[in-house]
Amino acid sequence: MSRSGIPRPWWRRPPVAAALTLALAVGAALALRPTSDPATGDAASGPAPALAGTTLDGGRFDLADARGQVVLVNVFASWCGPCRDELPLLAEAERRWSDRGVRLVGLDVRDGPEAVRALLKETGTTGLVVLPDPDGTRSVDWGVRGVPETFVVDRQGRIVARQRGVVTARWLEQQVTPLLGAA
Amino acid sequence: MRWRRVLGALVLVALLAGAGTALVRSTGPAGRPDPVEAVAASLRCPACQGESVVDSRSPIAASMRQVVADQVAQGRSPDEIRRWFVQRYGEEVLADPPARGVFLLLWAVPVLVLLGVGYAAVRTARSRGGPATCPPAAAGPAGSGPPGRTARRAWWAASLGLVATMASVAVAARQLDRPAPAAPADPVAVAVRLAQDLEQQQRYAAAAQMYGEALRDRPDDALRLRLAFALLRSGDAAGAERTSRDVLTRSPDSPDGLLVLGLAQRGTRPADAPGTLRQFLAVAPEHPAAVEIRRLLAGAPPTVGGTPTPRPAGATG
Repeated sequence: MSRSGIPRPWWRRPPVAAALTLALAVGAALALRPTSDPATGDAASGPAPALAGTTLDGGRFDLADARGQVVLVNVFASWCGPCRDELPLLAEAERRWSDRGVRLVGLDVRDGPEAVRALLKETGTTGLVVLPDPDGTRSVDWGVRGVPETFVVDRQGRIVARQRGVVTARWLEQQVTPLLGAA
Repeated sequence: MRWRRVLGALVLVALLAGAGTALVRSTGPAGRPDPVEAVAASLRCPACQGESVVDSRSPIAASMRQVVADQVAQGRSPDEIRRWFVQRYGEEVLADPPARGVFLLLWAVPVLVLLGVGYAAVRTARSRGGPATCPPAAAGPAGSGPPGRTARRAWWAASLGLVATMASVAVAARQLDRPAPAAPADPVAVAVRLAQDLEQQQRYAAAAQMYGEALRDRPDDALRLRLAFALLRSGDAAGAERTSRDVLTRSPDSPDGLLVLGLAQRGTRPADAPGTLRQFLAVAPEHPAAVEIRRLLAGAPPTVGGTPTPRPAGATG
C-alpha cells in the first residue's frame, strides 16, 4: 500500500509502529518499578560498629572491651514512651544473665542528662550503663531507624539480632539464650 | 482541512512540551546549592514515609543531617557519603535509586516518538506538496489518496506513542517517589498517629503521653478530648476529669467532653456521674456511645463493642 507500490516492511506499518511504541513505553514503566528487596536492606548480622565514650555517670564504656561478652545495645530516649516501658524488662534480662556474661548498654539518643536520669529513676533502672548520644550520630552509625531499637552483639563482636521497636521477654529469650553457652 | 492540521500540530506541541517538562522535573536536579542539603535531599528518611532527610523533622533525620554535615566538613564526596549510608540502611535509603539500564528507556521512548513525529510531518508535507515532490502514482484528487492516509496514520501512531510516553513518565515519576518539598512532616500529626497506634495496642498510658506531647505543640480541644479518653482508659480517672473539664469550660455542650467527664466521675465522684451522663444524652442523643450510656444508666452491665465508649472500670473482657 505504499506510495511507490513496493510493500513496506511490516515494522513500518503505522499500527505495528504504534503497538511497538506502546509496548516499549509499558515495558519501560514496568521495568522502572522499584526492584530493591526490603529484606536485603540492612543485614542483622555483621561486625558491630564502634561504640565507645563517656557514660552518663562519668565512666568509660568501649564495646571493644566487651569482647567475649554478649552485649545488648538498647537505643532509647526519655522522650520515647515505649522505651520507658521496655527498660525494666531489659534491665531484668541483664540481671538474670549477668553471671553468664550478658551486659546491657543504653544508647541515649538526642536527650538531656537530667531527663534520662529522671527516666532511670522512674523505671528503677538507675544502674544502667548509659552512653549519651546527644546529636544522634552514633545511632546513625548503627543504622538506627527510630527508638526504641535493640541490638544483640555476640561474644565475637558481631550483631546477631536487631529489634526495631519494643522488645519482648520472648524475643530476648530467643535471641540471647543460644549465645549463653558459647563463652 | 487546514485549521484541523494546525490544531493537531498545536495539540502535539503542547503534549511534547508537557512531556519534556515532566521529564526534566522528574529527573533533573532539584537545584540545591548547599552540599549538605543536596546530599540530605538525596537520602530518604528511614523513619518516615516518602520524606527526604532534608525535609523530615523526625529526630533520626535530624541526626542523619548532622552526620552528612560532619562528613561534608571532613571533605568526603557526596557519593562517599551516600555509600556510607547505604552500608548502614540499605539501598532504599537513597531517594533516587541508582540509575539502571531501564532508565535509558525513559529517554529512548521519547526519542522514538520524536522520530515518529518527524516522519509523520515529512509524510504530511509530501502529501501536500505538488507534483514536483510527489510521484505521479500518488497524485490523487484533493490529497485523499494513499499518501494522505499514510500521513494520517503516521500522525496517529506518533500521537499514540506520545500519550504512551506521558503515561510512562507519569508512572516512573511516581515510582521515583521524590518527596514533596511543600509538605514538611507535622510533628503533631506524627505524635497523634503514634498515639492512635498505641491506643489500638491498648497501651493507653503511653498513648496519653503522646497526646500530651502533641498538645504541648498544638493546644486543641479535639486533641484534649482524645487525651481525656486515653487517660480514662489508662485508669487515670482524675486526669481524664481534669482534661474534660478544661474542654467543657470553653464549650460546655461538647458531647465528648460530657461523655468522658461523666465516665471519669464514675471513678472520682460517683454521685455526679449520672447527672453528667444524662446531660451528655440530652446534648447528643444520636451519639454512637449513647446506646451504651443509656444501658449504663439503666444499670445493665455494659457490652464492650466497637463504639468509642471507654471501658468502664471493673468491666472485664
